[in-house]
Amino acid sequence: MLDNLSTSLKDALKKLAGKSVIDRAAVDELIKDLQRALISSDVNVKLVMELSKAIRTRSLDEQLPKGTNVREHVLRIVYQELVRLVWASADVKLEPQTILMAGLQGSGKTTTTAKLARYFQKKGMKTGVICADTFRPGAYDQISTLCAKINVPCFGNPQEKDALKLTREGLEALKDRELVIVDTQGRHALEADLIQEIIKINTITKATHRWLVIDAALGQQASEQARRFHEAINIDGVIITKMDGTAKGGGALSAVAETKSGIVFIGSGETIEDLERFDPDGFISRLLGMGDLKALMERAEEAIKADDVDVNAMMKGKFTLRDMYKQLEALNKMGPLKQIMGMLPMGNMELPEGVYDVTSTKMVRYRIIMDSMTAGELDDPTLINSSRMQRIARGAGSTPDEVRELIKYYKMMQRTLKGLRGGGGKFNMQRLMKRFSGMQ
Amino acid sequence: MFGGLKEKLQAARNRLGSSIQGSAAAQAPPAAETKPGKAPQPAASQKTPSPAAPSFTDKVKILIVDRELVVSEKDLAEALSELEMTLLECDVALQVTDAIIASVRTTLIGKHRKIGSSIDDLVVGALKSALLEVLGTGFDLVQYIKTHPHPVKILFTGVNGTGKTTTIAKIGFFLKKQGFTVVIGAGDTYRAGAIEQIGVHAERIGIKIIQHQEGADPSAVLFDTVQYAVSHKIDVVLADTAGRFHTKSNLMNQLEKIKRVMKPDLVVYVDEAVAGNDAVVRAAEFERTVGADAVVLTKADMDSRGGAAISIAHTIGKPLMFLGTGQGYDDIIPFDPVQVVEELLGSDA
Repeated sequence: MLDNLSTSLKDALKKLAGKSVIDRAAVDELIKDLQRALISSDVNVKLVMELSKAIRTRSLDEQLPKGTNVREHVLRIVYQELVRLVWASADVKLEPQTILMAGLQGSGKTTTTAKLARYFQKKGMKTGVICADTFRPGAYDQISTLCAKINVPCFGNPQEKDALKLTREGLEALKDRELVIVDTQGRHALEADLIQEIIKINTITKATHRWLVIDAALGQQASEQARRFHEAINIDGVIITKMDGTAKGGGALSAVAETKSGIVFIGSGETIEDLERFDPDGFISRLLGMGDLKALMERAEEAIKADDVDVNAMMKGKFTLRDMYKQLEALNKMGPLKQIMGMLPMGNMELPEGVYDVTSTKMVRYRIIMDSMTAGELDDPTLINSSRMQRIARGAGSTPDEVRELIKYYKMMQRTLKGLRGGGGKFNMQRLMKRFSGMQ
Repeated sequence: MFGGLKEKLQAARNRLGSSIQGSAAAQAPPAAETKPGKAPQPAASQKTPSPAAPSFTDKVKILIVDRELVVSEKDLAEALSELEMTLLECDVALQVTDAIIASVRTTLIGKHRKIGSSIDDLVVGALKSALLEVLGTGFDLVQYIKTHPHPVKILFTGVNGTGKTTTIAKIGFFLKKQGFTVVIGAGDTYRAGAIEQIGVHAERIGIKIIQHQEGADPSAVLFDTVQYAVSHKIDVVLADTAGRFHTKSNLMNQLEKIKRVMKPDLVVYVDEAVAGNDAVVRAAEFERTVGADAVVLTKADMDSRGGAAISIAHTIGKPLMFLGTGQGYDDIIPFDPVQVVEELLGSDA
């Protein structure tokens, strides 16, 4: 299902690929697919409508920058609009502060509290945790067990029923700590008395930050809940949890739009170390179910500099192993092959299962083998006979068969490049990939 | 609960009604007086008849000969896209929304409508049958327990933080009130504090709990629980498990092992009513790996929309058993699809 979506998005983008004039119908189609992609990632429907309106207006009104095609132009606008939403300044400073955790039941506040404590502890802060969850049985046991593992003091009392009293006592007890994290009971916006409670806790702690913990799977409800929490305690950051599942975290996007804050951290695993600073590129790629937009543009630019690959020599058909080595290196810089392929405008090209992994590991092997060749062999691969092959294989810790395979791959690349030179300049990626997979 | 969905569906239904009526009024002035008083006012009463197939002459023929009207695709297009947005806003997953819209469309389009019959009824009928089709039948746990050999072993699965442990306490309390004896197996040996959590619950509701220490093999805990139930002639075994993501194959394998060892009669999949599109993905994956016989939706009180119920039921085609609606042990209600749909589309519009 989601794969279908991202392919339809890619198809829509592909239609824009060759165009030099903006095509209203094609843009509209792209917007429609974009809407479906975002909605199926749980972004709030109203927010999607606003976003797509902005993207449509900008796409049609803005001048096409020189040297870019329509596809790049529209992609960049899509990217910028999304980044504008999530990339508010959610700075995490390493200074004395109090952090108040808020969120719905079961969103992962307690686990995240422990992860945060670990994060700041590793940064050299003297950290402490207050367990103000007086409701859920086992909450104190959970956080105190987690804190004990990382040697962070945890204040709490499972017998005490008054969260406010606990918080006051906790602040007193942890006075010597530079950074205090207050874990609270899960609550939702319709529970008026619990909302009152967190407002009071916020007043007592004079919290520097009030972070809202959002489950990546949270749906349309995210906007509403975030809005109510924001009204109550002025949320200034959002943490997305459970990003290790298949959920896309669109709810969090709605939440940051609602609270005008940014995403501070992402929780993506069950161990205490599984907490990352937020990275907008990866997040947006995931939302749209397609390759890393910005990264493609930037990385492709810096990775393939003119001096890396001598395009002219290659076009003349003079393609040596040395060129291939550089090419593989350039690919390596751009990241995993799968990502690169995902970023290329190839639409719904079907790739055989497993081809990515095999080929990217192969590429590493090939580079190692080439490291064992002499300069002469690299410049003129025809020199390589069977005894040289033996030597190269020994040097690279591989087999002569693998060396032979490399030569075959090289010849294939050479042929492809010749075809490129001859055939109207269309680089047939699909054919190339077919050959890739045939060689596994 | 589910008030939001109800409200929106009723608005959409009024729109559907009025758009059909709009074209009806234009085609057939004599039909106008047959409108029942409570039906919504026609949106555009002087629309020209659309020349869409079936052709205008056909329509007139049917109108005169059979005293019936034909509903065309054009009449519905706008209202259906409205309904689509409504469902999406209510967290019904995209693919499920598509299915429901398609069902309503095929039911309504080309349908001959007796001039005297209420337009309201027609639309409500189509929506109702589409929703009922999606929601399937409910699941009567009490009846199930009564008709199956004891102990009835129920295994609870689901991703992290959906409320499995709390749900077990609630169901335990519910069954106890129904006069069954219950034992709980503390199969979440992974999460810190989980054993304490279910231990406290069990103590409060007066149910025996079988537990090992943290980090123990959950299969062993649950096997012991079943053994205990057999030797003490207990009616029902409720087996808790650690929350796990469907993407972690090692944890899913562990769940399969638990299933092999304790041989549950029912596997109950627990998810939260506030989940969005991912509800579909993970429900399908759990169904595929360990199976699911029934579904419990939690946190229905924080959700006024309830789309996840429709999404999950549609995806795995398994009945919804309970809804969790609050923090107390009493806050659980058996799910009755007919009642819910009646309530959503009821006559109190």
